[in-house]
Amino acid sequence: MNARSQIFELTMEGRQVDEAVASLFHTILFHRSVGKFTYDGSNYSVGTIGYTDVDCDFIDLTYVCCTSSRLDRTIKKEISCFSELLRGNEGTGMGQISLEFFQKKPSRWLFQSECIPWEVWTVRLELISLSNEDERQVCREKVGEILTDKILYITEVMNRHDYVPKVPNQSELEHIFDTSYHDIQPYLFRLHYSLSGPSSGTSVGSAMKKLIKETLSL
Amino acid sequence: MRLFIMAMKLTAQEKKELEKFTKFLILKSAQVIVNSRLGYKISTQCKSASDWFNIAVPDLPEVLADAKKALSDEVALARLPLCVEISLRTTEGDVMVLEQWCLGILPETYEYSGPFIQTVYNRMGVLLKSLVSVTRVTPAYKLSRRQGEDTYVLLYRIYVGEPMLHVLGDGYKVLRVGQLCTPIGTMHLTVSYRTKMTISPTTAGKDNSIMLKSDHFNTNLSPRHVRNKQNEDKNAVNDGMKIGAFACRKREYKPEFILPEVPLSNLLPKRKEENCEENDLINDELEHSKTSTIKDDRNGNSPSESLITSNNTTTTVSTSDDFIMKTPFASRNANTELGMFYREWQSAPPLQTFTHIPTLAEQVQDLAKQLESFESDMNKYDDMLLTLCQSPNNN
Repeated sequence: MNARSQIFELTMEGRQVDEAVASLFHTILFHRSVGKFTYDGSNYSVGTIGYTDVDCDFIDLTYVCCTSSRLDRTIKKEISCFSELLRGNEGTGMGQISLEFFQKKPSRWLFQSECIPWEVWTVRLELISLSNEDERQVCREKVGEILTDKILYITEVMNRHDYVPKVPNQSELEHIFDTSYHDIQPYLFRLHYSLSGPSSGTSVGSAMKKLIKETLSL
Repeated sequence: MRLFIMAMKLTAQEKKELEKFTKFLILKSAQVIVNSRLGYKISTQCKSASDWFNIAVPDLPEVLADAKKALSDEVALARLPLCVEISLRTTEGDVMVLEQWCLGILPETYEYSGPFIQTVYNRMGVLLKSLVSVTRVTPAYKLSRRQGEDTYVLLYRIYVGEPMLHVLGDGYKVLRVGQLCTPIGTMHLTVSYRTKMTISPTTAGKDNSIMLKSDHFNTNLSPRHVRNKQNEDKNAVNDGMKIGAFACRKREYKPEFILPEVPLSNLLPKRKEENCEENDLINDELEHSKTSTIKDDRNGNSPSESLITSNNTTTTVSTSDDFIMKTPFASRNANTELGMFYREWQSAPPLQTFTHIPTLAEQVQDLAKQLESFESDMNKYDDMLLTLCQSPNNN
């Protein structure tokens, strides 16, 4: 099964990265979380999700996230590591971070359980440096407008009639949902990030293509 | 018709459930929209107990009552489309509609199989979450956070019917928050919002045309022109300028106030001194100005000048024009630092010629020198004359 993939390409100042990525990922997770399941025999009840408004400091934007301090910590920690790497001296100022939703395939005999992604949200970032406060103010508003468009796009995707794993039996609940949170129950997700050089990825690829073409033409 | 056919396929229980879900979607949507425009950040807590659509939406009793009133205890599905209008009201009473949130239903159906009720319920939950997210990113959200009793407040109104889009002005935008398919049609939630945030003044009067004066730029009516004219024309002065409430209208001039014959006085602006007999306060001021100007010029050739200044006790910071006003409670002493400063800059600096007058002996000596130089240069002048006369094209 191919996972649905959404890619956002953004350009901003280094200090805006944490908030920009958090605003998008929290909006997605707000839609991709359900109330905590409580089982009573074969029946279960679904809890209620609280939500919190978050004002950004470096972007003209307010977004909504689940009221779950643990979820917030988990997300912020990963984003912060990525941001530090991206903004560090060794970085090229370009990189990407992904939020991947997956389901576990039950383990068979000796094999370990397999993780199958079903939806991936990727944010590609390119950093810019601004020289004065006027430019920063413009950038603050501009990034806010761009993120607004992205949030609207996220809600559009969420309301499509796309595939979402079915709610399983209690025994298989952990294959679909992350049950470790006490207040909410998000679909299983993970974050991963990478930095990219200005042309490192493409140069290898193009060299390979060239090699194959040359081989074939002979 | 198609709605009816599809609805007929539903069981009574399914219809009842769908009706109930729709009703609560309307109630909760209204709460989410109004809550987001209260002007402060919202934070609700997660809980293990179930709530509608598994989202903790704060319930405002007023909004609940208004929404229920709009539904008027009828079948919720029959009341669609239902709108929530957000408007802005200034302290002056001007009102501007900002947004129209609308929950409607379109007769588009889909082939459903199996139990759909749970799916519809879950999708309504997703739609409500999308509504929570979208309410924070439309322009009215930022306006709502800045509202206050002394500037403007946001208002809401819930009504049944198609959204009134004409009140949003030109260039309004429409966003689809989301939609969900049900056996009786596609439910959709949209927001239409204003993009031009200018309040046009309410048309109170019938004639709103701006009053124009055709002689607005007529130089004959400019204040400067009038003022100059007043200086020249005594009648204009008397008619146009008012005398202060407690000012002394009559003033006897002492002989010392009458200006003596001052050398080079013809260079100074002429005043109509003969009119001073009327002792008008304004003319009085003008005369004082004149004395002050003379003093400032520091000609040094007038023996009576010191007398004038020493006796001129009533004169304060009088000047040659009416620019500097006498400030109440200010020092009567004209020689304050500020007064000195003004006087120094209000007129051209004195000419060196007047500050250093050579004595007669010096002047004679100077003349002798000049004559000598002229005599010595006589040859040069003769040569020049000759060249001029001999020039071929002498016209």
